[in-house]
Amino acid sequence: MTEDLQRKFQNELTNFKSNQKELHKTIQARKLLDSQLNENTVVKEELNLLPPDGKVYKSVGPVLIKTELVEAKQNVNKRIDYINKELKKVDELIASLEKKMDGHTESLQKLQHQLQQAQVKAALHA
Amino acid sequence: MAQISSTEQPHMKQIDLSTLSIQQLSTLKQQLDQELDVFKDSLTSLKGAQQKFQNSHETLESFNDEIEGKDILVPLSGSIYVPGKLVDTSSVIIDIGTKYYVEKDLPAAKDYFQRKTKFVSEQMEKIQYLGLEKSKIRDAIIEIIQIKLNQQPQA
Repeated sequence: MTEDLQRKFQNELTNFKSNQKELHKTIQARKLLDSQLNENTVVKEELNLLPPDGKVYKSVGPVLIKTELVEAKQNVNKRIDYINKELKKVDELIASLEKKMDGHTESLQKLQHQLQQAQVKAALHA
Repeated sequence: MAQISSTEQPHMKQIDLSTLSIQQLSTLKQQLDQELDVFKDSLTSLKGAQQKFQNSHETLESFNDEIEGKDILVPLSGSIYVPGKLVDTSSVIIDIGTKYYVEKDLPAAKDYFQRKTKFVSEQMEKIQYLGLEKSKIRDAIIEIIQIKLNQQPQA
């Protein structure tokens, strides 16, 4: 009986830990997206400040290639849209992972309680 | 995400610190310590960025009419230089991030670096203010932990 509970507890704990790891990884991904969004917003503002005939270059490997300002603006806007979409996805994932974590914590507490009771019972019978 | 603040905000619940257990208080303190660490890291990197912008601005200040045609050494790598001559010193190309570069005349370039330096300084001030607030809360928590520890019956 106690062994059975112990096994269940261990199982739940492994689940909890892998969940925790996944949550951590997702939060890291969110941070990265956040900084990318920030950088792109700054670039967008800077491009908007340029006169219509402003010269823009894009670095491709070791060379700078001249780009049209309109094209650069479109490109940055597209990237911002994409990042925003990804952010939304990641946020949803984080929310669902946090919910799962709560569930794991709850069942872990329950199991721990049961385990303690079983141990007390076993001690009384001994 | 959970937030800790000393000022009251509509979406936050007010908690009387003295009603919390030592366990809860130390968890709270740990969380604050982590946040303060993040602030410290951010401040360091912001300071680096600020310095970079200021450096660029100062370099531009030394650009004047006489500099055109002067000899310079162009770095090809960290340790290899080739001789060169400065031509067209009326405009510079600036890295604005995400692999985009824009050409700006000198006044506009100076303005760019001034704006960036100001922006970074403002962010630093914000973080410093937040950090101060959080460390105040942290101090308060430590104080209450101490009081609670003293109140506990001596073993």
